[in-house]
Amino acid sequence: MFGYYLDLAWRSLRRTPVLTALMVIAIGLGIGASMTMLTVLHVMTDDPLPGRSAHLYTPRIDPLPLAYKQGDDSPDPADNLTWPDAMALLKAHRATRQAAMAGGSLMVRPARAGLQPFNANGRYATADFFAMFGVPFEQGQGWSAADDEARAHVVVLGSALARKLFGDAGGLGRTVRLEDNDYRVVGIAGDWAPKPMFYADATGSQYSDDDQFFLPLSVAVDLDLSVNGNNSGWGRDEANSKTNASTSWLQFWMQLDTPAQVAAYRQFLVDYSAQQKALGRFERPPTNARLYSLMGWLAHENLVPNDVRLQLWLALGFLLVCMVNIVALLLAKFLRRSGEISVRRALGAQRRDIFLQLGVESAVIGVAGGVLGLAIAQLGLWSVRQRPDDYAQLAQMDVPMLLGTFVLAIVASVLAGLLPALRVCRVAPALQLKAL
Amino acid sequence: MRILRQIRPILSALRSHKTAVTLLMLEIALTMAVLGNLVFIVYGTMQRSHMATGVAESQIGWIQSIGVLGQDNPGTGAENIAVLRNAPGVLDAAYGSPPFVGKETNPIFPDAARSRPVAHAYVVQGSQHMSTTLGLRIVQGRDFNDGDLPDLMDVFMKKTDTPLPALMTQALAQRLYPDGKALERILYDGRYAYRVIGIIDHLRSEVTGRANDDDALLTEYRIGAQDLGGGYLIRSRPGQLPQALKAAAAALQKANPGHVENKVHTMAELRENYFKSDLAAGRMLVAIIAILLVVTALGVSGLASFWVQQRRRQIGMRRALGATRGDILNYFQAENFLIVSGGVLLGVFFAYALNLFLMHRFELAHLPAHYLLAGALALWLLGQLAVLGPALRAAAVPPAVATRSV
Repeated sequence: MFGYYLDLAWRSLRRTPVLTALMVIAIGLGIGASMTMLTVLHVMTDDPLPGRSAHLYTPRIDPLPLAYKQGDDSPDPADNLTWPDAMALLKAHRATRQAAMAGGSLMVRPARAGLQPFNANGRYATADFFAMFGVPFEQGQGWSAADDEARAHVVVLGSALARKLFGDAGGLGRTVRLEDNDYRVVGIAGDWAPKPMFYADATGSQYSDDDQFFLPLSVAVDLDLSVNGNNSGWGRDEANSKTNASTSWLQFWMQLDTPAQVAAYRQFLVDYSAQQKALGRFERPPTNARLYSLMGWLAHENLVPNDVRLQLWLALGFLLVCMVNIVALLLAKFLRRSGEISVRRALGAQRRDIFLQLGVESAVIGVAGGVLGLAIAQLGLWSVRQRPDDYAQLAQMDVPMLLGTFVLAIVASVLAGLLPALRVCRVAPALQLKAL
Repeated sequence: MRILRQIRPILSALRSHKTAVTLLMLEIALTMAVLGNLVFIVYGTMQRSHMATGVAESQIGWIQSIGVLGQDNPGTGAENIAVLRNAPGVLDAAYGSPPFVGKETNPIFPDAARSRPVAHAYVVQGSQHMSTTLGLRIVQGRDFNDGDLPDLMDVFMKKTDTPLPALMTQALAQRLYPDGKALERILYDGRYAYRVIGIIDHLRSEVTGRANDDDALLTEYRIGAQDLGGGYLIRSRPGQLPQALKAAAAALQKANPGHVENKVHTMAELRENYFKSDLAAGRMLVAIIAILLVVTALGVSGLASFWVQQRRRQIGMRRALGATRGDILNYFQAENFLIVSGGVLLGVFFAYALNLFLMHRFELAHLPAHYLLAGALALWLLGQLAVLGPALRAAAVPPAVATRSV
């Protein structure tokens, strides 16, 4: 039956090529615009670390004084941790793995002749970083907790930086000069750049940055290396801004494998805050402490800029206009065939059959519109990639979005066909037959 | 009058096509809602991209001269300013950064307790000659004079508690001191105290569209023998900016062999860069506007063709009974006008509803009524254009059709 309906649909559409083309173009344009923006939103809110993200969590504790007021446009200092808090969580060792980290930009001074000094972005982290996030290694490995403790001058290089400095040979065991210190290369990381860079401070460009080197956090504190991102202080002590208790600048991530572990850690954070409050360091309620899952944290950070959301809404509004348009055109098209349909009814076809037949016809338009929409979405994504925004380069369609395009196109066209089909099913065959 | 007399039959004819008419009106209404808001957003962006910052943009260039670690550099801030001022074509120079470069608002407090901010304003700091280099217009009070300026080190190390002399924009002055007596008033941000010595007409550090774009304080400090890396500003003679900026950058580099000049830009380039992303998105929205109009026109025209075809016999009868081609043409045009008018009325509600939603979620401004009027006119015109083809075809139906297959 389905094959027969397909055949009928094909014949019917071929009879009115202009009207069919109009409908396909309308649905194609609506789908194309919507899918462009949906794809942008999709890549921006996608899981940056599939497979691992479900077990990754980040704490948020609130060490701010009661009187602290956040500026309108300024980031929340409590999104980051202070050095004492990060070290306390690290030493408590309540999670399977845990690491504290911060981003930094250092001047690389290549030993190779002909290469000028340049700045590179990287990360200061504690030892668990690599195993917890599953960073692949081309050569060597990360450093150990003992290296952290010893403030060892070791570095893990990203593959691009390693190649730039040492050519294809790698450079494991060689020395790199960053700012005014030498570091021994203990590992070369493979291609690893989660997008967005969820573990970085939210004030950076998380869609376009990547880490080119990794240094032990203890070394960065020891040498007072420069730190990127939101570095907020609220205390009066002007002492070392990295280690004091009223400057937040660190990110902290942990791996928790079971729901019981998650619940226990949540409680631990509240208890820790209560204890700090009892000591007089924290002023705000301990229940302000939160534990975010990776995806929950990305939602909390709200990385998608407002103009992208606005454009998505407008594109969806555009799709709605296109759909209403198709409803009107399908109504015209179906009503025009009242006679033919009445003949089928008179020959024994039930309303359900007619409804199904017209539904198939709408779906055929949807498939054709989906093909056109896909082409238009590719054009739209190409134009998004020309934008100067930091997420622009990510705007590529993946398989789920590709299939989604067709699903959306077919659903939209079948929905649009619903009302006209119902209307035509109500036509009384007898009246129409008389008029033939 | 003829058209008026035609309205009644049109309405009764439309009554038997309720679904199609409702759909068409809905389409017009939705188009108007999306169109009105889109045009509003795009026009807002375009307007913003041309909004003046209050500085002499066509004459200002910016040179970022940064020290390389471990390199000794003989140049000092005061000398650098002198070097720049002596460059050919340069009128004035200062150490500081122009609008669009790394600007953030600071909370402004009325008292030293700093408990409740009364405004969030841009605090612009620069060396001696900053206000004259930017070409700011003083409308009340006075500009800085040499005796005013605190020393850079005193300011940076916060060794001085005396309020820093500051110029304030008119917009901020009116916001903070509605009595009009802003001069000599003292106010505070998170770090310093300021004393208002003069009022300038405009200084927009950013053009975001927010109400506080033009809220700014400008202070100057004196730089002397420090080796200062960072941004230097020049103001050229009118029309000589490209040459003057090039000459100034070369002179500054010569005086500072230990610095690298990463960025040398005219204000026009900074502005272009600042609005690049917005304008790129705007272009995409313009494309959507165009497509939207085409889609709606095609829809209207498609449905009109259907109606013409459906009523061929009736049209033939009317022609046979004496109606002219013009009457038939008018009929379809009037019908289209009525439907579009219904859609436009509905569209006003839809447009405001969408605008309210966008205002709520995206801090958009209120949609002014004239956008709706323009939208209505556009849709009326669009409807007439879209129906013209089918209506002409209807007018061409020969009266003989009436006699066939009755």
